[in-house]
Amino acid sequence: MLSELLQGIESGGFLIIRDSCSYSGRDLLKSFITAALNREEVIHVLCFDVSEEELKDGLKPSDTQRFHIHNAYSDPLGWTGHPNFTAQQFSLEDLTNLVKQTSQPKPAVLVIDSLSWILRHKTPPAVCQTLQQLRKGGAVRAVIGLLHTDMHQRGTVGSVCHLATSLISVAPGVKGKEAVARVTKRSKSGKVMQDEEIFCIAEDFTVTILSKASHAEHKTNSTEEEQADPTANLTFNLRLSDSELEAKQKLTLPFVFSKEKKTALLYPGPGSGRILYEPDANDDYDQEDPDDDLDV
Amino acid sequence: MAAPMNSVGKTSADRLQANCTSFQKKTRSKLISIPGTRPSVQNGQLLVSTGVTSLDYLLGGGLAVGTVLLIEEDRFDSYSRMILKYFLAEGVVCRHELFVATAQDNPDEILQPRPTGEPQDSLDAMTIAWRYQNLPKVQSALASSSRFGHYYDVSKTMEAEIRQAAKCHCFYLPDHITPSSAAHSARVESYSALLKSLQEVIHREGFDLSKSRNILRVGLHSLGSALWGDDLCCHDKPRHSHALTTFLYGLRALLRSSLSVAVVTLPSHLIQDRALMGNITRLCDNAIALESFKGSERETNPLYKDYHGLLFVRQVPHLNCLARQLPDHKDLAFKLKRKQFTIEVFTHFAPPKLSSHVPQSKVLEDEALKNADGTQLHSLYLCLTL
Repeated sequence: MLSELLQGIESGGFLIIRDSCSYSGRDLLKSFITAALNREEVIHVLCFDVSEEELKDGLKPSDTQRFHIHNAYSDPLGWTGHPNFTAQQFSLEDLTNLVKQTSQPKPAVLVIDSLSWILRHKTPPAVCQTLQQLRKGGAVRAVIGLLHTDMHQRGTVGSVCHLATSLISVAPGVKGKEAVARVTKRSKSGKVMQDEEIFCIAEDFTVTILSKASHAEHKTNSTEEEQADPTANLTFNLRLSDSELEAKQKLTLPFVFSKEKKTALLYPGPGSGRILYEPDANDDYDQEDPDDDLDV
Repeated sequence: MAAPMNSVGKTSADRLQANCTSFQKKTRSKLISIPGTRPSVQNGQLLVSTGVTSLDYLLGGGLAVGTVLLIEEDRFDSYSRMILKYFLAEGVVCRHELFVATAQDNPDEILQPRPTGEPQDSLDAMTIAWRYQNLPKVQSALASSSRFGHYYDVSKTMEAEIRQAAKCHCFYLPDHITPSSAAHSARVESYSALLKSLQEVIHREGFDLSKSRNILRVGLHSLGSALWGDDLCCHDKPRHSHALTTFLYGLRALLRSSLSVAVVTLPSHLIQDRALMGNITRLCDNAIALESFKGSERETNPLYKDYHGLLFVRQVPHLNCLARQLPDHKDLAFKLKRKQFTIEVFTHFAPPKLSSHVPQSKVLEDEALKNADGTQLHSLYLCLTL
């Protein structure tokens, strides 16, 4: 499922990459940027965590017209008086203006590196509302964000991830350059799909999926072993061939009636076989009282 | 037995009439008769169906008019949303009016792919045992003998005419509150706006017994989440911890004085403060919690393979009486099939293993020890003694 997400996020989608201090998700974020650039999409990056040079390092944007980095690393809180982009500017109007400034016909993909920085300076409800409106607004086609889970309280991480349509949690793998990704994808119809994969990222930020995680394989083995077929290894034949199955379905059963007769029997009309009974003196016999028949 | 002599000579028509009694029960109905409602057999309260028949049974026959049902959402909000849709679909079929409030998606998205209502008679016809078709099915699914509510087919959507005929009031939070003003305010404005809007609708349409004799079904989706401007789910010690509880208090007061019933869903898995969760539960009349197996390791556990999740009844009300009507069984599990959302008593027999390489008790023991939120499942300990 990771490869499907790399190939494209649906319109109105919100992808969050959750990482921790043991494995940084920035490489995966850069692979998403590379894949989107190769697909000829317009990308706007809000750069809070690392400097612009460090983010561009390794990426080869063939067309700088489509790749815009907004440097919020050098002056995120506006102390110098003429900042490039501040954390306070993370609101619907400012972001829409920012994206529209570049005057591209196609709606852009907004990449946020990282959401944790913004969450430290704006309240989580405000950030969630802005993200939700960005998705619905139409100025931005999709949003990809990086979130450091160990920087926030569980409730904050949970609230932001609750809004996401796709969620990737990365963790270090067993061997050196490998990492484990747990992918959760929610479709519009409400279906939820989950997957766990081992991947590694090459120098040019292409992702190779190595295999599914090992204990997923173990689970499939155990379910196969459970379903032993009881009709095997018998001295008589319990299975039906196709022609026999057909003949069985064609067989008319003795008490199968037509639909009208069935409904007539199921819903009896008035005056069709009622039992008329008036209780007489013999019915007053009480089993428990032995003296009931004494005429005293 | 001998038939009485005086009726022998009469014709059959006369005989029938003589046996039919002329006694007519005087029905001075003090209860308002509104379509889609019925009085409770326990305490005479006016009940409304939630749309899910097994949930009606758990709540004591249905949802009492003037009460609030709190649904604690499952992790991905799939099944709680489905119950909300059933509730609203039942309102459309019974011709009640609807009020839907959301902050996340447009209210139309909750109303739109609505399950279609089918009358109960058109259940699957049996070919061989067709004489038993109309008898209530005796099974581990909870149901009462008298039918109330309809069955819905989730894969189809309601026809447009029925949908148009239903009167629906929508409250979409971004239309009412601009987020920039909300960020700077000290209080949470969204709840008071919602309460004002609901009060205005009730007063204008006359649900407070002034004009109309119909029920208003209120559906509030994902209350308390960050999109409502509340930091209840975000922080361990929320700043506005009383905003939601004040709203629920006001909501209940509003409902008690009008002919309405509310279903509120809440993402309780995000709320870290359990005492606050307890307060919220106590402020609502009925409370259930859903836990879906999706995403947890229980998904592949053979014990749970028939079900989609577990259901916990957190609270049942006692309205105008001293004692609560508690459900008999505590372990309940639900499954969503195409035609029905059933809640069943969780019966855990593992299927007989033909090639036994894992001993039965070990599977259950492992299951008993690990549990998502640390609560115990009492039933599994019982199973070990079998």
